Formats: sequence, structure tokens, C-alpha cells
Amino acid sequence: MYLEIDPRIVEDKGLSLLWEETHRFAEEVVRPAALALDKMPDPTRVIEKDSPYWDVLKQMKRLGYHRIFIDPDYGGLGISATEAHIILEELGWGSVGLTTAIGVDQVPPGVASIFGMGDIIEKVVKPFVEDTEAKYHSCWGMTEPECGSDYVFLCEESFRPHIRELHPGQVKAVKDGDEWIISGPKSSWISSAPAATHVGLHVTLPPHDCLSNGAFCIVPLDQEGVTKGKPIDKLGLRDSPQGDIVFDNARIPDDYMIIRPPFYEYRVGQIICVTSCFMGAVFTGLARAAFEEALKYSKDRVQGGKPLCEHQSVKQKLYKMFEMVESSRYYTRKVMEHVWSKIYIEKTYDASSRHALSAQICGTNTAFEVAHEALQLHGGYGLTKDCLVEKLFRDARASLIMDGANDILSLAAAYNIIDEYQ
Amino acid sequence: MAIFPSKEWIEEVLKVAERSEEYKEASKDWEGDFLCSIECDDDFLGDLSRKEVMEGFISFLDMMPGESRKKYKGTPMGDFMEKKLGISLVTPMKGLELNELVTKISKLSAEDLSGAALYFWADFWHGSIRNMMGVAPSEHDDAAFKLSGKYSSWKLLVSGQQDTMRLVMSNRLQLEGDMQYMMKRMKAVVALTKEVLAGVPID
Repeated sequence: MYLEIDPRIVEDKGLSLLWEETHRFAEEVVRPAALALDKMPDPTRVIEKDSPYWDVLKQMKRLGYHRIFIDPDYGGLGISATEAHIILEELGWGSVGLTTAIGVDQVPPGVASIFGMGDIIEKVVKPFVEDTEAKYHSCWGMTEPECGSDYVFLCEESFRPHIRELHPGQVKAVKDGDEWIISGPKSSWISSAPAATHVGLHVTLPPHDCLSNGAFCIVPLDQEGVTKGKPIDKLGLRDSPQGDIVFDNARIPDDYMIIRPPFYEYRVGQIICVTSCFMGAVFTGLARAAFEEALKYSKDRVQGGKPLCEHQSVKQKLYKMFEMVESSRYYTRKVMEHVWSKIYIEKTYDASSRHALSAQICGTNTAFEVAHEALQLHGGYGLTKDCLVEKLFRDARASLIMDGANDILSLAAAYNIIDEYQ
Repeated sequence: MAIFPSKEWIEEVLKVAERSEEYKEASKDWEGDFLCSIECDDDFLGDLSRKEVMEGFISFLDMMPGESRKKYKGTPMGDFMEKKLGISLVTPMKGLELNELVTKISKLSAEDLSGAALYFWADFWHGSIRNMMGVAPSEHDDAAFKLSGKYSSWKLLVSGQQDTMRLVMSNRLQLEGDMQYMMKRMKAVVALTKEVLAGVPID
């Protein structure tokens, strides 16, 4: 736990309790499960029936963490941005992989609760909201083998003149009577895809000539025409099973097509604003975990006749890490409050994308830099599998690529800054 | 409680918009009129079998100058009024026997209304609604935005049960116009639904 300086939290007993309880859950349940999952040599084990992945997911759902991003009118928790940020930072402190699982789980029902109506509310949103046994589990299908972080540019109005320079997208939907037929591949980096029952899917529409001529839909994955890949073997985020999904004439009813033209290119950017804030908060949690490990180790480990923390160069490193974590927390929290207000409160859907993207970049860069310093401070021990920082470092490295590579996020934000900064 | 669409509903909407400081503030830089098309469906036919709804419908038509009303001639709505209900598009609407019209409705099916649509036009300008009225087909065809959809979808909107964006994204209403302009002024769109339309309960 850390010294909270936001008086709204310090003076509110409810918020303080939420913070403590979430931290306890992250420490006692999430982190031990994440460590066990991380050590599984075969990534397919992560999603097997008896895996701790499902235990944690069930417990998260029983605590209501799967309803953070659902519109309160349709069963969402109705919590504030500050509360959401507190929960996500603490869960991220425990495991960014498992927090990603409960995050992507909410993309389809969350988007449907905000923008959808009709059958989709009864058939998808309600069952997801009421599920406490992890019967339902979702993923978010955006990136494609030939079209990766490109989707991030849909955030930026300033990029629209160049949008046709991007790949036009590989997953295509065509109308067939009252249904849509979907074909094409999503890439191997879809978090939770191998374990998911549903996907919130980005598709392009006829004439399939441009990424912005697209739609967001929900596709149940237990149907013919859907092939889910096995979890991939990878460096970091081993507690988050990632894999591809290939669609070959999969079908959905018209009500499952949630965001379509002419709104798609405007609304997809707002979805990215929410997920970017999520990333900022969660990876601030990882950064803090790495800092706390470094601080603890520096007090215990004796070198040159005194604990590491009594060496001036270590003191400076510890200070820098502290400053980065604190800055990341209060910046990403502030951006989340802005985005939350625009999407869940005012419902004007005009959150500032440059701020949302920079919250993700700030959180993930902080996580990587702090984990890197923490590992360095641990010396050779930091490279061993027994050391928590070794895992945190690998997870932090993955964050510079997941949910949009940071290079591309910053490029997209720069278009907005140059055109719209006042 | 007002009937949608009716003269009373339009007057109430104008009054609520004029009173609402929230709406005025949210739409202070909005410039752009809407041509709205209500496609008649089963629900419309069902509602018309209520005398008060029929009265509202007649009052809506009566708001239009005779010259405008005449433009419905030859359209499915014109045929419905003239051939099925026996309403003249030329003579004034006042004095029509409502009970008789409701009886006629009870003998009709959705097919008799196939393709029929009603239109109204609303001119939103810097925080106020400068004008709102029933119009004939092809009038105000140059409106900045065009919003069309079935009567049942319109009822969801005007009752404040659903917002414009959700109805458009689910394809229940169709919207044409400068989307970029609208997206930058979502506050005005939200305030119109929440503060104005929801402020006029419909029966």
C-alpha cells in the first residue's frame, strides 16, 4: 500500500475500504494465481478446466469486477472513474495478465450496453452481467495479421485524410437477409481468445476498401465457421492466454452489429480511449509492484557492508522510480476521470484521444522503465525465475506492444496534438 | 401527456426547449436543421385506432398549409388519407368525425399503410428551435440533416427512452448529414433528447 495524497480518497471511508479490499484480493488471490500460471511451461494449460485462470475469473466476477465498464442502466457497477482506477491499479499490481482478462471480458457487453439495443441486451449484456461462474468470457478482436496497430489511427480525426493509406482490413462482413456473414483472420495477439465464448469484433463492410468503413459487432464463438487458435507461447503476460481467431462464414443476427457507419469511425476512437485508460491504470499497478519489490530488496540486501538503499546511487534510483510511479498514477487517474465523464456521465463521446493515448503510453513506459530499474537493482537474482521482478519485467516489456505499439500510439496522438492543441 | 405526432406535441417541444437552460447552453453553437421522416408501421396503425391519437394526427396535418398538404397527393400517405380514411387533402381538417375515422382504421391492415410516411422539419439554431412544423414530401429537402425511421422507433426517441445515437447505430433510425459536425457537438444532441424530448411526456 502507498500513501494516497488525493483527499477525496483519504477522507472517504468507502473509497479507502474499496482500496484496501481490492489490494487484499490482489495480494492473496490474483498474484499467487498469476505466478502459478506464469510458470506453466505449456501455455495451453492456462485455459484448461482446472486452471487457476478460471478460479480467479470466477472470483473477480463474484466481486463484480466484470461490470466496471458496463453502462449502469444495464447492470454496470455505476462506480466513479476514481473507484475504477483504484480497482484497476490494485488488480494490475497483482497481475496485468489476469486484469487484462477481466478487462477484455467487458468489451463486448460494455460496448453493447452503451451503444446497443434490442436482442443484444437480453442475449449478451444481461447474461454477462449476471454471470458469476465465468460461464461467459469475452475477448476483443481488433488486430489482424496484416493490420496491427493501424486501428489506433481511427482515434484521430486529424489522420482521416490518410486513412486510405492503411491496410483496408482482413475480417469482412456482408449482409445476408437479416444476418451478417463474417470471414477473415484476427491475429494471434487477441487476449483471452483461446478461452473466450464471445468476441467483440471489428470488421469492414462492403466494398471493404477502407478500415474506417467498418463496424463493431459481437460474435458468439461456439458456432461453425469459427476456429480459435491455441494459446501462443510468449515472453511476457503468460497468465493472459492469447491466440488467433479465424472466421469462415460465421453468422450473426443484425442486432449483434452494434456500431456501424456512419458512426463507426467516430465511436471506435472512443472505445480506444476507454481501453487506453484501462492500460494506463493497470500498468501503473505493475510499476508500483516493481518499485515496491526494489525498495524491499534494497533494504534487505547488504553490499559493501551496508544495505543497498544506503548507497547514494541506489537512493537516487529509488527516488526516480517513486516519482515515476506517483506521476503515472495521478496522470492516468486524471485522464480516466475525463474519459469516464465523457462516455459514462455526459455521454457526449468526445473524450480527448491524445490524453487517453498518452495515459496508456505513460503507464506502460513507466511500468517498463521501473521494472527495468528494479531488475537491475536486484542484480543477478533479478534474472532468476524465483524473483517476482523477473516476471514483472517480462510483462512490462509486452505492454509496449499490446493494445497498440507505443510508437504508433504516440504517432496517432501527435496528429491530434499538431492539429488540435490550443 | 401529448400525442406524437401532433400540433400539441410540437408546441410543447418548443416551450420546453425555450425553458431549458441546459439545452440552450449545450446547443449554443449548433447551426443546422433536420428533416424528419416518420415511416408508418403496425404500431402507428394500432395507435391511430385510439381517438385521441387520431385527433393528434389530424392536428398535425392541419398545421400544414393546404398547398403543402396537397403535395401528399399520389403518395402512399396521400392515398391512405384520401382513399382509406376519406380525408380531403385540400379542404380544412377541422370538423372531421373522429369516431368515424377510428372505425375505418379498425378495418384496415398494415398493407393499407405500406410506404406511407409523415414528415416534420425542425430548425435548430444557436440554442433555440427557430421553427418546427409538419411538412410535405420534398419540402426542406436541403436540410442539413435527415433523420428517418419507423414510427415505433420515433416513439422510443421522443419518449426519451432511447437516444438518437443508439437508435441510429442499431439501424432503427437512419441519419444523413455532416457526421463530423454532429460528433463535435454531441452535447447538443444529448441535451435535445434528455432535456427537451424527455421533457414532453407522450401518451
